Amino acid sequence: MIWQILKKQGLMLLRNPVQLLLLVGLPIILIAILGTALGGTMNGESSPIDVKVAFVEHGDEEQQINRFMKDLGAELPPEAVEGIREGIDGLMPVSTLREDVFGSGDVSDMVDVHDAKPSELEKLKNDDSYTALIEVPENFTYNMLEYMVLDKPEQPELKISQNETQEIGVSIVNGLLEQYQEQFTIGTFLSKNGIDPGVLEQNEDAVTGETTTVNQKNPVTAKGYYAVGMVVMNVLFLASTIGSIAFHEKKTHVFDRIILGNVSRWLYFTGILLSGMIFGFLHLLIVYGFAWLVFGIAWPNLMTFLTVSFVYAMAIGGITVLLTAISYRINSEIITSFFSGILVTLMAFLGGSFFPIGNSSELLRAIGNLTPNGAGMSAYIGILRGDGIQEIWIHLLFLFMFALAAIVLAVVSFPKRGISG
Amino acid sequence: MIELVDLTKKFKQIEAVKNLNMFIEKGEIVGLLGPNGAGKSTAISMMSSLVEPTGGDVRFNNKSILKNPASLRKIVGMVPQEIALYDDLTAEENMQFFGRIYRLKGYALKRKIDEVLDQIGLSDRRKQVVSKFSGGMKRRLNIGVSMLHDPELLIMDEPAVGIDPQSRNYILETVKRLNDERQMTVLYTSHYMEEVEFLCNRIYIMDQGNLIASGTKEEIKQILSAEKTISIKTSRLNGRFITLLEQSPTINQVVAGEKEVTITVSKEINMFPKLIHLAEEAEQELSSVDVKTPTLEDVFLHLTGRALRD
Repeated sequence: MIWQILKKQGLMLLRNPVQLLLLVGLPIILIAILGTALGGTMNGESSPIDVKVAFVEHGDEEQQINRFMKDLGAELPPEAVEGIREGIDGLMPVSTLREDVFGSGDVSDMVDVHDAKPSELEKLKNDDSYTALIEVPENFTYNMLEYMVLDKPEQPELKISQNETQEIGVSIVNGLLEQYQEQFTIGTFLSKNGIDPGVLEQNEDAVTGETTTVNQKNPVTAKGYYAVGMVVMNVLFLASTIGSIAFHEKKTHVFDRIILGNVSRWLYFTGILLSGMIFGFLHLLIVYGFAWLVFGIAWPNLMTFLTVSFVYAMAIGGITVLLTAISYRINSEIITSFFSGILVTLMAFLGGSFFPIGNSSELLRAIGNLTPNGAGMSAYIGILRGDGIQEIWIHLLFLFMFALAAIVLAVVSFPKRGISG
Repeated sequence: MIELVDLTKKFKQIEAVKNLNMFIEKGEIVGLLGPNGAGKSTAISMMSSLVEPTGGDVRFNNKSILKNPASLRKIVGMVPQEIALYDDLTAEENMQFFGRIYRLKGYALKRKIDEVLDQIGLSDRRKQVVSKFSGGMKRRLNIGVSMLHDPELLIMDEPAVGIDPQSRNYILETVKRLNDERQMTVLYTSHYMEEVEFLCNRIYIMDQGNLIASGTKEEIKQILSAEKTISIKTSRLNGRFITLLEQSPTINQVVAGEKEVTITVSKEINMFPKLIHLAEEAEQELSSVDVKTPTLEDVFLHLTGRALRD
């Protein structure tokens, strides 16, 4: 009998394209919109700014170094030359700029460096897609080494052409170049004066005071955050949808027919509970599956993900059966409408579906975690960050207790006799 | 077969059914007649064990079913006034669902679905979703679903309300055939007098929660055996004419409509000269005057002072 109720429920949901679109299509659209629009406000999100830099080098840096060492050997004693050779690796200005500045982890995500030949220079200058063109003049490294090692007065300069239409990109490139220049100047000064550059590194042990550990195992992207936020919110509508169908069964006397078939009302009740749970679980899998396929939101630990989804689906089942029981008791759909029209939005707000409300206040975070969607969201976000069951068990326990309380309340509310009419 | 004893139902301050006593024998088609709000639906809900009575008893085969209704539910088929079907499922899917509710399965269920769809004339529409059905088709399926488990007692609450005459005839013929061929007992509620007159052997008439008459069609019509009904049609009724009719000592009852007034008088009295005289006095123009043999509608009018569909 329960299978018949589940089958019927499934067919009814499938044959309602509008409802299906609202339940499954809407969260997908919202994930795409919110994830893209609010991506910049989230931690751990890759930058939407793309900076493209062309590097044009006149001459070869290594040849210039070799030439410099050779010329140096003619002027200085071999011991002094050997000493300089040992330190020369840290004094390769072009390699340092290209690899250590533009090629460093965070910057390389944002800046795309393209090595070009001097013959391409004119073409590159006319290409608007480039943010900046860094031209390394002939003998730049040689002259720079002369300036740094032999105290020659003239400091060589890079030629920078900037694309003024890309203001943000240009300021990023300028910032990086200034930083490079500063570091290079300080490094030169320190090495000239025989000071170890390591003294400038911050001594972590010397820092005292309270330390707050921030979970940065895996930063959560905006799309990941909003996938969770929208799914945990949207699946709540499934509870009101099934609750609504159940009340319609009462209103049209379908429920009477079921009762007259000598079917226990508790069997029907269990059918509604399981419908909420199973379709809730399927809803979570479908939307998260879609988010994985389209937005690349992958779960580091699939078993933990399935466990959270199952427990959250239990809470959805609890809400479904509670809404059904109350609407049967008061003989009105008002509770389901109130839930879907007002309560879901409020719960979604408190639970953090629209933005990480918990970041602004510990109290709000605690309140949010006392909503089923908020607890579900915390658990899911935890998994995305790399947490295991042991770190998120408190949310799972809350969801389980919530489901249990909702079912008990529903049992108490569900009319025991004489509910026709 | 089934008996209602002093059955009462109160909803807060309203007494929907007051000390209702009635019985139905096996193989009968019994009509329960009354205007909207008479308490018919509440009475049959109590009879079918869906609503708990405030007082009285429902007895099935001489045993109360109030505490344990399972034995009655097994043999009852209920056709509610509402279309108690799933709009988004096909006719066949609806039948499969409700058939499973009645513990039918496999070949037996399939055979029964074929049989019932054939009986209600929807075999060729079995794969169509109910939302695409006409009102009459929905009503027929509504009846078909309640016949899946071969009920001994079919309780029908206004099963033909709001549909076209052709579909109504189909339903009435189907009910009649079920009763003739299978001796299915039927309780048929309606506020359409002609449906009840066509189908039923015995009739109960309810008004405002009370049972106001009962018996065979002939017995009920006998209530008006000593009287006759005269229907006077006009282009526009004159208030003065109504007053004169009401004041006339030979007229037992006056029921006035917009253009028609119905009076009940003793069979022996020749009312024509008197009517012409009263019309002249009130300056009332008359279109026609008909003397009618009493119908159940007239009986209802006589008993309640109101027409059935008021």
